[in-house]
Amino acid sequence: MISNPYTWADWNAVLPLFIVAGVAVLILLADLVMRKSNGWVSMLLGIAGLIAAGVVAAQSYGQAHDAFGGGFVLGGFAVVLQEVIIISSIFSVALMHATWRPERMGGVVALILWATSGAMLMAGAANLMTVFLGLELLSLALYCLCALADRPASREAGLKYLILSSTASGFLLFGMAMLFGATGSVTLASLANPAAAANPLYWMGGGLFLIGIAFKLSLVPFHVWSPDVYEGAPLPVTAFMSVVTKAGALAVFARFAYAAVPGGVSHALLVPFFIIAGISMIAGNVGMLAQTDMKRLLAYSGIAQIGYIVAALAGGTALGVRYAIYYLVAYMFMNLGAFAVVAINSPTPAEEGSRIESFQGLGARRPPLAAAMTFFLLALAGFPPTAGFLGKILILSTNVSAGFPWLAALLIAGTAISLYAYFKVIRLMYDRHVKAYTGAFARLPLAYVTLAICAVFVVVMTFYPFTPSNVLPLAK
Amino acid sequence: MSLVLIVLPILAGCALFFVPRTDRFISRAGGCAVAAITFFLPLLAGNDGTFAARWLSRPFTASLHWSWGGLAFWIVLLLALCTFCAVLATNMAQTRTMVALLLMLEGTMMGVFMARDILAFALFWDLMLIPPFFALVGWGGHRDTAWRYLIYNFSGGLLLLLSTAAFGVLYGSTDVIGTTHQLVGQWAPWIFAGFALAFVVKTPVFPLHTWMPPTYSDSPPAMVSVVSSVQSKAGLFGFLIIGLPFFANAMGEWRWAFIVASLVSLLYGAFIALMQTDAKRIVAYSSLSHLGLIVLAIFSQNPTAIQGAYIYIMAHALFSAALFLILGYIEEREDTRSLARLGGLGKANPKLAGAFTIAALAALGLPGLAGFVGEIVILTGVFKNGYFWPALIALIPIVLASAYILRLLQDIINGPERPDIPHRRDLTWVEGLAVAPLLAAVVILGVYPHAVLYAASLVGVAR
Repeated sequence: MISNPYTWADWNAVLPLFIVAGVAVLILLADLVMRKSNGWVSMLLGIAGLIAAGVVAAQSYGQAHDAFGGGFVLGGFAVVLQEVIIISSIFSVALMHATWRPERMGGVVALILWATSGAMLMAGAANLMTVFLGLELLSLALYCLCALADRPASREAGLKYLILSSTASGFLLFGMAMLFGATGSVTLASLANPAAAANPLYWMGGGLFLIGIAFKLSLVPFHVWSPDVYEGAPLPVTAFMSVVTKAGALAVFARFAYAAVPGGVSHALLVPFFIIAGISMIAGNVGMLAQTDMKRLLAYSGIAQIGYIVAALAGGTALGVRYAIYYLVAYMFMNLGAFAVVAINSPTPAEEGSRIESFQGLGARRPPLAAAMTFFLLALAGFPPTAGFLGKILILSTNVSAGFPWLAALLIAGTAISLYAYFKVIRLMYDRHVKAYTGAFARLPLAYVTLAICAVFVVVMTFYPFTPSNVLPLAK
Repeated sequence: MSLVLIVLPILAGCALFFVPRTDRFISRAGGCAVAAITFFLPLLAGNDGTFAARWLSRPFTASLHWSWGGLAFWIVLLLALCTFCAVLATNMAQTRTMVALLLMLEGTMMGVFMARDILAFALFWDLMLIPPFFALVGWGGHRDTAWRYLIYNFSGGLLLLLSTAAFGVLYGSTDVIGTTHQLVGQWAPWIFAGFALAFVVKTPVFPLHTWMPPTYSDSPPAMVSVVSSVQSKAGLFGFLIIGLPFFANAMGEWRWAFIVASLVSLLYGAFIALMQTDAKRIVAYSSLSHLGLIVLAIFSQNPTAIQGAYIYIMAHALFSAALFLILGYIEEREDTRSLARLGGLGKANPKLAGAFTIAALAALGLPGLAGFVGEIVILTGVFKNGYFWPALIALIPIVLASAYILRLLQDIINGPERPDIPHRRDLTWVEGLAVAPLLAAVVILGVYPHAVLYAASLVGVAR
């Protein structure tokens, strides 16, 4: 008889993933047996499943455990990232219109949950195989989701994402193969072998791997897909992608940078990555200036914001990870709050409410909604008293103390550029000289809840900074 | 206690949005009450109202720490007074919204002036830029003004942020305002440069002043009176509480750059003020000139000059607030600010003319009024430090000030009456009440500057 090498503790580690994936199956079954499709049932089931997974995942916070022979690690870092992914997934589901195409809701929610489970796998992945498995699970679900809106642009987005993302996956996979060739191991921790660094294969592999990751993070110059895909995809899916794919890829990058790069060469291999993070801060914010669609604007904003987050990891300090996580959590709340306002402003499947003109005169039409949008945009721009402000201070200080003052300078320059873009929207909402938009508002009770939660957390995080201490992404 | 001065106006400002849009009475009465509370609370409390709570312990220690003791005391009173007057003087189509913005501006500026932690200072620095932006969006005439205001000032705010982070990393703590410790090392001058750029943009100083004249002339009078009188002092105040106690050496290294810039501001502001025909722009450029004098005083690093700077900060705040409010009254009555179209107001409006004359003479530096005390102490101090030429050059704009202020008086108050603008009435008692405290303070500070002088002697001293 073959003895089972895996213990219950191993299965326990991936229990949250199973819950999420299992609930997705349940939703499809429920959709099948119900006489008349009801979007609300799928949405609420999905949210309940995600909350359950979040609660279960939180149990293992701080308990470091290498499941499946080091293929999947638990501990502070993985758990925090998983929670980020789960929360943003809940918020994205909350932005859906349950009544548009009720017969389709079950499938959409199920796909989102499967994508979530893929990202959660990435959050804990500690060897190259699980990284790829998680990434593909996430991406395959997203290809379908992107194409689901009833607009031609949506099909285009789906196809574009499929082609470009598969190319990036190819880079990633090729890089992984070379890394394996150079070190003879797929475990991230054992890649950190100084002897391997002498092998050119290692450098080529590491470079290709990082290019793949940069694509998933949508760092410049691998960002071109993101505005188009964000614009074309249905709004809840865009909201989902803007945080979840980035959180998953960030987890992989952080673990690679902190655990898989041998001490001496880490600088040379990673500095180019930080340089493109710095370029993203500038290019993302410059790109934002010309946008006339909120989803595109937020896509460019996301490119710059992920640049800030990656910059926090420069120098490989223990504090850097904590601040990157802090800013990621802040970004999640700021960004999804802004998406919630856009969703409320877009009551029709054509989503013309996401065009920037649709915000004209919002300050007079719906003062609380305009105030919320102003607040989230100010937060993204780094105005106090928001988590965006404190997050920037923390990243600036970690950059300065880790010896990357130029990243701090780029962050400041990028933020200065971004002002015009964020305030352009704010101004349109309050300018009395422009003609007010007259579209209706969507009835999305859950979006209002999302918005309120996001606003509260953005403020609370400023004064009670959430920077958990035991979050080193080491794969030991 | 000091938290009340920050939170109360901000919350009151938010609460006003629940008042009907067209209301004029509740918002003004409420706004005045809030401003009065913030005025009398520090005056009667008998302590320095310290509020402190730990905020960050990594990567440097920072606290949410405010107090109205020391240098902040008089500025806090000044801010409350100016807000009171501005709220009282607000009388326009959207009074409620304007008063709400004024209260939010007061609360956020309280957070700047009372801050005992540089990070808390930076937090409210950025916040205080927002209400004037909305005032410019809502009431500004030109599209670009709001942008210019915002981009200039917030870029300065970002540099402040970067310098704050660097200061924290270098020093280990930002909970330091009110103490003194000279920072040394190769980074110190650059950290100071970040702070200084933010401060001179806000002040403003030539050549970073281009946002200021349009902002001042486009904003509604109530908003511009607070912005020009108190918000413009935030940068100068920053030099006093952050520059001198921590970067005296760095200030010495950059000294000549700033002295030259301040002299250029002095001269340039005065000459441009001579040529303007828009009354509000004349006062705006005179502000540029006057504030250049304060920058000169601070960078001379002479204790006497710095005391003078502190007095002149108060004095300029009082008379520029009064001037802008009164120009607002005039514009409301005559529907123009152009000197060519105005004239002969003194005959029909003796009260208006009297108030305007007092404020204008204070701006001119007439002995017995607040402006004079500040100017003479600054010039004495600068001269005593051996800066003969700068002191001499600084005298020229003071002479020019007489010219442009008298021209303002001559063209608006005196001169022939314009028959083509018939609608005139003198100040109502509410309008009078709105400028009376400012003018009274101008006179009191002019004849009895000692109380403020004592506070000014605390600059750079550990408390």
